[in-house]
Amino acid sequence: MSPPSPHEVPSNGLPSTGGAGGGRVPVGALQNALAAEHAALWVYGVAGAFVSASLSGRLEEGATAHQARRNATERMLIDAGAPPVPPEPGYLTPHPVTDAPSAIQLVIAAENDAAAAWRSVVERSQADPDLRGAALEALTAAAVRAARWRASTGIAPLTVPFPGAP
Amino acid sequence: MPPACPSRRRALAAGAGAAVLLLTSPAALTGCGTPTPEEPDPLESPAGRAEGDAALANAVAAAHSALAPAATAFAADRRAHATALRAELHRIHPAPVPSTAATPAAAPAIPPPVSSDPASARSALTQAMRAARDEAAALVVTLPGYRAALLASVSACCAAHAALLS
Repeated sequence: MSPPSPHEVPSNGLPSTGGAGGGRVPVGALQNALAAEHAALWVYGVAGAFVSASLSGRLEEGATAHQARRNATERMLIDAGAPPVPPEPGYLTPHPVTDAPSAIQLVIAAENDAAAAWRSVVERSQADPDLRGAALEALTAAAVRAARWRASTGIAPLTVPFPGAP
Repeated sequence: MPPACPSRRRALAAGAGAAVLLLTSPAALTGCGTPTPEEPDPLESPAGRAEGDAALANAVAAAHSALAPAATAFAADRRAHATALRAELHRIHPAPVPSTAATPAAAPAIPPPVSSDPASARSALTQAMRAARDEAAALVVTLPGYRAALLASVSACCAAHAALLS
């Protein structure tokens, strides 16, 4: 999922202080993670129109998790003194979404994007249990959901060795 | 004044020597999180565990065909983890392989015992996945950026395996 025009992450080069643990907060990486959460929420909404009723519970669960993560990330950014990036008005999908399989593929792509964004927060943050812990939790949740979506459609392999790795 | 020049050169040479000594002193070379040679590298344990898990998962796959798909997939990912962790260990400690590395690396030669009861074998596999997830997660909050990100992916991968099997 990419926004129609490349979204410029505000990188003013001034790492904000405050927020989780009082350590330096990697604002750019967090804004990327927030943008990935916005995109994932949009994708889960789109997928709802195609995915069978038997998977609607999983869809709802994923959307709720991303919503909570989005809210928490916005709070972290506000605490760090950075205005949270808003969602894009629309997103370009890597492939056309026309049926349930293509919709689930899009959901898996959104989870992979979220995993990558949160792994980057782990890498760029200081060894701070609060922020690193939250980022690890988000990365893990995205990897678990991606694996479950792959399992529900028989997309092999069900796992990747390094979720979120570039 | 010919003597002035040599003495000046000597002074400069001495200054340069002092600078070299400063740069090569252990305090200057030991960055944050880089272990001193006396203590084992914190990646030794997860690397050894990844090798042990791969051996266990292969043995479970051989003994229980019903568990084979999950066990084989876990073995493949754990082998990838072991390779990446050993590569990082080798990057930091290039020349002689630390003696502690030989012990876990030798372990996979003897297949670990696997219960003939499928439920017990499944439980052993799940426990290995959860233990690997937790060990890597604990290191994520303490290690420097690159290593933290690597272990975050390892932890997320093991969490995905545990979620699929349980």
